[in-house]
Amino acid sequence: MQKQYRLLYDENLCIGCQACSIACRVENSVPDEVYRVQVHMQTMGIFPNLGMHYERLSCVMCENPPCVSVCPTNASFQSKDGLVHIDEKSCISCKYCILACPYHARFINPLKNVVEKCTFCYETRVSKELSPACVSICPTDALTFGDMRQSNSLVYQKSHKEVLLFPKAHLGTKPKVAFIPNRKGAKS
Amino acid sequence: MNHMAGSLEQYNTVVWHWPIAVYLFLAGLSAGAIISAIIIKWMKGNDVSPWDGIIKAGAILAPITIGAGLFLLIFDLTRPLHFWKLLIHYNFGSVMTLGVLALFAYFPVVILFFLGVFKKELIENGPFKFLAPFADMALTYAKAIESVTLILAVGVGAYTGFLLSAMNSYPLLNTPILPALFLASGVSAGISANLVVGLLFFKNSTGESNVSYMHGLDVKVIFAELFFLFILFVGMMYQGGSSAHVASAALSSGGLSTLLWVGVIGLGLMLPIGLNFALPHGVKHSHGFVIFNALIVLIGVLALRYYILYAGQTFVG
Ligand code: SF4
Ligand code: SF4
Ligand code: SF4
Repeated sequence: MQKQYRLLYDENLCIGCQACSIACRVENSVPDEVYRVQVHMQTMGIFPNLGMHYERLSCVMCENPPCVSVCPTNASFQSKDGLVHIDEKSCISCKYCILACPYHARFINPLKNVVEKCTFCYETRVSKELSPACVSICPTDALTFGDMRQSNSLVYQKSHKEVLLFPKAHLGTKPKVAFIPNRKGAKS
Repeated sequence: MNHMAGSLEQYNTVVWHWPIAVYLFLAGLSAGAIISAIIIKWMKGNDVSPWDGIIKAGAILAPITIGAGLFLLIFDLTRPLHFWKLLIHYNFGSVMTLGVLALFAYFPVVILFFLGVFKKELIENGPFKFLAPFADMALTYAKAIESVTLILAVGVGAYTGFLLSAMNSYPLLNTPILPALFLASGVSAGISANLVVGLLFFKNSTGESNVSYMHGLDVKVIFAELFFLFILFVGMMYQGGSSAHVASAALSSGGLSTLLWVGVIGLGLMLPIGLNFALPHGVKHSHGFVIFNALIVLIGVLALRYYILYAGQTFVG
């Protein structure tokens, strides 16, 4: 059966520990100087009225992925489950997709010289009914992953309870990663 | 701001570097050179051998510049040896694939044009006798082949603009005017390059009236370019929001805006127009001036490609 994956990132629960980023590095052998995922933190406001703003930077698995439509060789493609993957063999490393991705999620792996990004750990975990490495390691359960077609899944229930924010929704990319925005608001 | 998380470099770097700008320049120049050569060839009295110097210049420049550009493009790939996969996998929704297909057709027809124009030198008096059938074909079906070439050249000139404008997260690139701007500046570069090569290498066969016709056309195209640049920025200002911010940053900050004002607009567009109006007729039509004028136009067009590529990736709102 086809899936409709979704990953929720709750800004209220995230403490910026970067465990997700490290777990990703280990799971996918990501070289030091590049990131498939990172949580970017910014201290906002003027002392003593400070607040932290968290932003999770990664591929958001667009339903309408610009990286796929620009790719001249179909090396970037969408699977039947709607996940976006890269076929290293047919990639000519033209970097068009790196430019076209509005989320700057792609990079050249300096060791392998191929284009890479987050895969939701599909090969090694999700296809085996495990959750992605970042989700499984998060100490505060800020990340929730699952199939939106299953109404008993946590991700389904949380999605219907919370206010969701889809990053850069105005571009029409329809991300599968959604943010639960900071309820306390960011100090500006 | 602190970066406990680590480097953010990956999220805001320039991805396509100067070789791409030079490729965009060369592709535009190639298209412009063949377009202007065909325009001259179609004019009364120019459609028979011996060919005018400008036609010869275009016949040489069009294949050489596109060849050099593609060479540069391939070696700019992170894995150049994989480029052939581009020739066996197609995504008809990708501007890059459409460009590859256009170039597939464009390259042979500009080579045919070259063979037809240089039939005497290469085939009758030269070592390439086996190419005679191709040259004859180019001459027999000249009108038809040249019409197709013209269409493909417009395609090649404009595609370089669509290549960049297809990306919707870069306000400066994602504008409908970019293909028109690139096509116009490519034509301008092609005319200029033809004038330089024609006057330097085929001096005896380059007709005076054609030189002044080309030069006059160049000035008109430069006006069009100025107008397109104006539309580009004014359009972005009226869009408001991040587009307006990007437009004002791109017009006013850093070395890139200096490049725009001094290189693109000052040297490449205003100076040629100014000189054209200020100088007396005699000077204006001297070969020395025409060549000087053509060279500054070429520098301006290269600067435009460089500016658009880098500013487009740098100022993202
Ligand atoms: S592991 Fe969880 S808490 Fe830590 S940075 Fe990642 S999302 Fe935030
Ligand atoms: S976030 Fe970027 S890389 Fe991921 S699917 Fe969307 S466009 Fe492609
Ligand atoms: S770098 Fe590879 S995956 Fe990206 S657009 Fe080019 S061929 Fe496609």
